[in-house]
Amino acid sequence: MNSIIVSCKNIVKTFNAGEAEVKALQGVTLDVYENELLMLVGPSGCGKTTFVSVLSGLLSFDSGACEVMGKNIADMSDEEITAFRGKNIGFVFQAFNLLPSLTAIENVALPLTVAGEKRTKALNLSKKMLEAVGLGKKAYVKPSGLSGGEQQRVAIARALVHNPKFIICDEPTSSLDHTSGQVVMELLQKIIKEKGASMIVVTHDNRIYKYADRIVHMEDGKIIKVAS
Amino acid sequence: MFRVAVEMLMHDKTKFLGLLIGIVFTAFLVTFAMGYFAGFMTRGFALVSENPSAKVWVMDPAVSSAEATINMSDSALDSVRGVAGVEYASPLYLGDVTARYANGDFQSFQIIGVDDATLSGAPLPADLLHIPNSVIVDSGGTEGKLQTPIYKKDMWSYDGSHLHAPTRELRYGDKMLVNSKRVMVAGISHTIPRFPPRPLLYTTASNFKRLIPGEKRYITFIMAHPAKNVTPDELAKRITQTTHLKAITSEAFKKETVMWFMINSEDVGDMVNMVILAMLVGFGVTGVMLYMFTYENLKQYAVLKAMGASTKQLSDMIFTQVFISALAGSGIGVGIAAVLEQIVSSPTFPFRMMWFAPLVGFFGVIIVSMTAAFISLRPIKTMEPAIVFKL
Repeated sequence: MNSIIVSCKNIVKTFNAGEAEVKALQGVTLDVYENELLMLVGPSGCGKTTFVSVLSGLLSFDSGACEVMGKNIADMSDEEITAFRGKNIGFVFQAFNLLPSLTAIENVALPLTVAGEKRTKALNLSKKMLEAVGLGKKAYVKPSGLSGGEQQRVAIARALVHNPKFIICDEPTSSLDHTSGQVVMELLQKIIKEKGASMIVVTHDNRIYKYADRIVHMEDGKIIKVAS
Repeated sequence: MFRVAVEMLMHDKTKFLGLLIGIVFTAFLVTFAMGYFAGFMTRGFALVSENPSAKVWVMDPAVSSAEATINMSDSALDSVRGVAGVEYASPLYLGDVTARYANGDFQSFQIIGVDDATLSGAPLPADLLHIPNSVIVDSGGTEGKLQTPIYKKDMWSYDGSHLHAPTRELRYGDKMLVNSKRVMVAGISHTIPRFPPRPLLYTTASNFKRLIPGEKRYITFIMAHPAKNVTPDELAKRITQTTHLKAITSEAFKKETVMWFMINSEDVGDMVNMVILAMLVGFGVTGVMLYMFTYENLKQYAVLKAMGASTKQLSDMIFTQVFISALAGSGIGVGIAAVLEQIVSSPTFPFRMMWFAPLVGFFGVIIVSMTAAFISLRPIKTMEPAIVFKL
C-alpha cells in the first residue's frame, strides 16, 4: 500500500451564522494515499469544500487532527501554513480564479513567482507546463481570450507547475461542457500518474467518477460511504 | 510580485482611470487651494514685497501687520537713523483718502507717501513724483476703478449730470481732487496687487501732508537697511532696544501679516476653511477610492495567498499599487495646477504657486494614499483565504 499523504481524524468545524450554528464538519476522518485520485462527492452544503479548505490550511478547524505530509497543520502559524501550502499544494478551482490581468503563462508562473523564482526560469517552466496541457500556442493570451475549457487547463498547469505533492480540485468540470470536462479529467489523471502526486477532486459530476481511485460520499458534514 | 501588482493595477483601465482621476483631482484641488491662499496672502504683504531693500521694518509696537496700522511721530525717524548699524532709513506714510474724479464720481484710495529726497518706496519711474502735486496711480488689484471722462465737456461739473458720461482709464496728465486739493496723475504703475484689492496713490511725503493735513503723527513705517557686517536680525534687535519701537525683519513682518490676516480677517478665515475643506474632501475621496480598489481585488489576493503568498508579499503589492497611483496622480494634479497658474494668474486673480503648495499637494496625497493602503491591509489580513472556493 502507498504511504499516507493526508491524514485527518475526527475533524469538527462549526460556522456561526448569526445566532444559528452550522455544523459543517462533524467528525470527519479520512486518509489520502500517495498517487491516489480521490473524489469527494455529495449534495451541496454537505461540507466537501469546507473539508478541503481545512486540509489545505485555508480554514481553521475546531477540533480533531489533520496531518498533511507528516505536518500537523493545527500546530503551524498562518505564515508557516501559507509557505507550506505554496510549496506542497496545488489548487484547481471551479471558477478557475485566473488573474485577469495576467497572460496564461504569467498565471501559470504565479506559484513560482510567489516562491521567489526568477522570472525567466518561472516563465520557461510555465511554458513547458502549458505545452503539457496543450496550450503552448496560447501562452500569451489573457484569460478573457480563452474558452472555459482552456482556462481550466491553464488553472491545471498553474496547480502543477511547482510540482506539488498534493492537489485539490474543487468542481474542476462543473463550469465546462461534457467534452471539455472529460479532457480536463483525462489530463489530470495523466499528470497525476506521471508526477506521482495525490489529488482530491470535489465534484457533483457523476460522469467523471470513472477517473477516481476512491469515491468518498459526504452528507451533513459526515462521511457516509467510501467506495473504491 | 511587483510586476503582478502593476498588472493588477492597470488591468481594468476604466477603474484605474477613475482612481487616477480621483487622485489627480485631489492633488489639483489641494495645490490649487494652497496656491489661491498663497496668492491672497502674498498680496496681503505686497507693501513689504515691493520694497526689497528694506531689510528691517520699524513700526509702532502695537502694529502687527502691514494692513492695520497706527502712526509714529516724526522724531522716530531720527531715532532710528541714530542707531548704530543703520546704513539708511526711509519713512513711509500710509493713509486713506477719497478722491473725486473729473466727472464728479469718487473713489477710495490708499495713499502712500514716500521720502521726498530718496523717493524710496515709490514705483518706477519714481522721479515723476518730483512734479509738483503729482501722484502715481495704481489699480492695486482692482478693475475699472481708475476712470475719468473722455470728453472735456463732462469734466469738473458736480451737478451729477456727468456721472454716467463715457469714461476711459486714467493716464498721465489727468487731474483728481483729494480733500479738495487738485493732484495730477504723473504715471500709472503696476505694482503687486493688494489684498483686499484697492486703488493706490503714491506721492511724496510733503504732498501727502498737504493732502492729509492736521495729523500729529504721520510716519507709519520706517524702512531701514543695515550697514555692512550687520544682519537684519541684529539690526532689528538694536533698533528695538534703542528706540523702544517695534523693529522686525521683512521676512518676519510678512509672516506676522499673514498671521494677522488669518486671525483677524473673516475673508481669510473663510479661505482657510475652504482650503481645509478641499483637503479633507480630496483626501477622503482618495482614501475611499484606494480602499475600494483593494477591496474589489480581495479574491485575487486570496488566490495568491492560497498559492503561498505571505501577508508581507500582499502588503508590498498593495503599497506598490497605491504608491504608483499616488505618484502618478499627484504628479499630474500638481502639474495641472502649475500650468493653470501660468494661465489664470493675473492682477485680478490671486494665484501663486509658492514652494509649499505643490509640496502639500504632492506629499499630502502620498501620505493619505499610504494611510489608505494601511487601512486596506486590514481586509487582506483578516480575509479568509477559503473564499477562493466561492464562486
